[in-house]
Amino acid sequence: MMQLFFNHPLGRTITVFSLICVTILLLAALLSPLLVPIILSFALYALLEPLSEVLERHGLSRSTSSLSVLLILVSVAALVFSILLPHLAKQLSVLQTQLPDVWQSIMGMGNDISQRLFNFLGLDIKSTSITQHFFTQANEWGTAALIQGSNVLISLTVLLILVPIFTFFLVRDYHSFRNYMLDKLPNSNFEMGWLIYHRVAHQLQEYIRGILMQSGIMCIMTSIGFYIIGLDSPILLGATAGVLNLIPYIGPLLAMVLPILLALSNVPIELWLIGAAISVIVIAQLIDSTIVIPSVIANAVNLHPLIVIIGIIVFGNLFGFIGMVVATPTLASANIIYRGLYQGIKTRSDLTTQVVAEQ
Amino acid sequence: MNSQHPLWQNLFKPKGDRISEVTEMWMSTPLFEKIPAKECRELVKTMHPRHYKKGEKIFSSGEIGASVVLIRNGGVEIKAAEKLLAELNPADFFGEVALILDEPRTADAIATDDSELIFFLRSDLEEWVKRSPRSGAQFMLNIAIVLAARLRHTNILLSLQNS
Repeated sequence: MMQLFFNHPLGRTITVFSLICVTILLLAALLSPLLVPIILSFALYALLEPLSEVLERHGLSRSTSSLSVLLILVSVAALVFSILLPHLAKQLSVLQTQLPDVWQSIMGMGNDISQRLFNFLGLDIKSTSITQHFFTQANEWGTAALIQGSNVLISLTVLLILVPIFTFFLVRDYHSFRNYMLDKLPNSNFEMGWLIYHRVAHQLQEYIRGILMQSGIMCIMTSIGFYIIGLDSPILLGATAGVLNLIPYIGPLLAMVLPILLALSNVPIELWLIGAAISVIVIAQLIDSTIVIPSVIANAVNLHPLIVIIGIIVFGNLFGFIGMVVATPTLASANIIYRGLYQGIKTRSDLTTQVVAEQ
Repeated sequence: MNSQHPLWQNLFKPKGDRISEVTEMWMSTPLFEKIPAKECRELVKTMHPRHYKKGEKIFSSGEIGASVVLIRNGGVEIKAAEKLLAELNPADFFGEVALILDEPRTADAIATDDSELIFFLRSDLEEWVKRSPRSGAQFMLNIAIVLAARLRHTNILLSLQNS
């Protein structure tokens, strides 16, 4: 039975594919403290590699072009942060002062609803105890977040140092490292290995460039929208919507939470503002789905939506937010690797069967 | 296809400089005609040398191909349906159709001696075309000329067989 399984192309494909997955998972576990800077560096590499190629085309050496790309990256990041950070800090403090109003508003709304239910249906829902429970829970989360705040700052500092260094070495040495690794393949699998690598790399690069561009466009669109409807902290809300848009299907829903909470902070509650905040996200999503995705991302990821959603939940459960972001490209890569392996192994198996039959 | 006797190569070429030697070999093929030697040399640095034992299969008919192959040392025979199509020597190249088509190979290639082969992958060609569109266009024209010459040769053979 086992012999039959390993002799069949499907069985061999599953075995090789499982071995690849286990190796990658072991590597991910080993490198888990550095996983976030590595993923961010690869994303930046995918974005900056064309720029390095342009510089090389103009006669610069690989090292000089990589260093120039790094300098450009650091300068642009410094410029963006110096302009945006003060605004974001200001908007964060505004948000902080508004939070008590938000809770107050939610509590008032809860009381109102329970009163109406009691008046019309005779249902006695203890809204005070529900909201009290909610506040106790929120308070616990808030305390935990404050304790983690210092750790986040340390992680951010490590990221700011590590990501440019990793990106520089990726731009400079990735091609040599890739060639070194792929040249280790046996002669019989050399061309197939390169074919699969090239397909995966091409699709991933397209996806990363596309999704970063899409996220930026989403950020600008929603910021403008929130500014027009008069919601406080439009840049902060737009940036959050842009980052959450990196998570397919679930991200847009999460992006609605913060604007709705802010809209709720107005006393008395202005329903039109909640509607307008939701509309901004929905309209931005419509533009994103009909114009941005077809022109920027195209068919970079060809997966069933259900598989993507399950993948996001599983990866999110395993690796947190970053897991939710990398779920789709990881599943797409696994799909290409599996198909490439199956195609190669099946062709070879068919050829062997043909030779045996001829003999 | 261009054949050079290994003895002459060893006598007149500087030893120890693999890149220069492979560059010269490629430059002597119709694929790199009218392409600056400097560009060819840069491209050679991205190519993949592989070693094959005598009798080892390089590729089989039906397998998806991804590269054109240059023989640096040794020899290769090309067979289709057990019929010998060509015997190739150092500085000869084969498998160039794979640079254009993502289709299965149409013949078997087997090393007739311990051989060192240089693989020029389609992915490397695509990157090079993006980097140097002018030379890339010339290279594509050269491939078209080679393929047209092979088609013409096959047509003549077929008409001779029929007559």
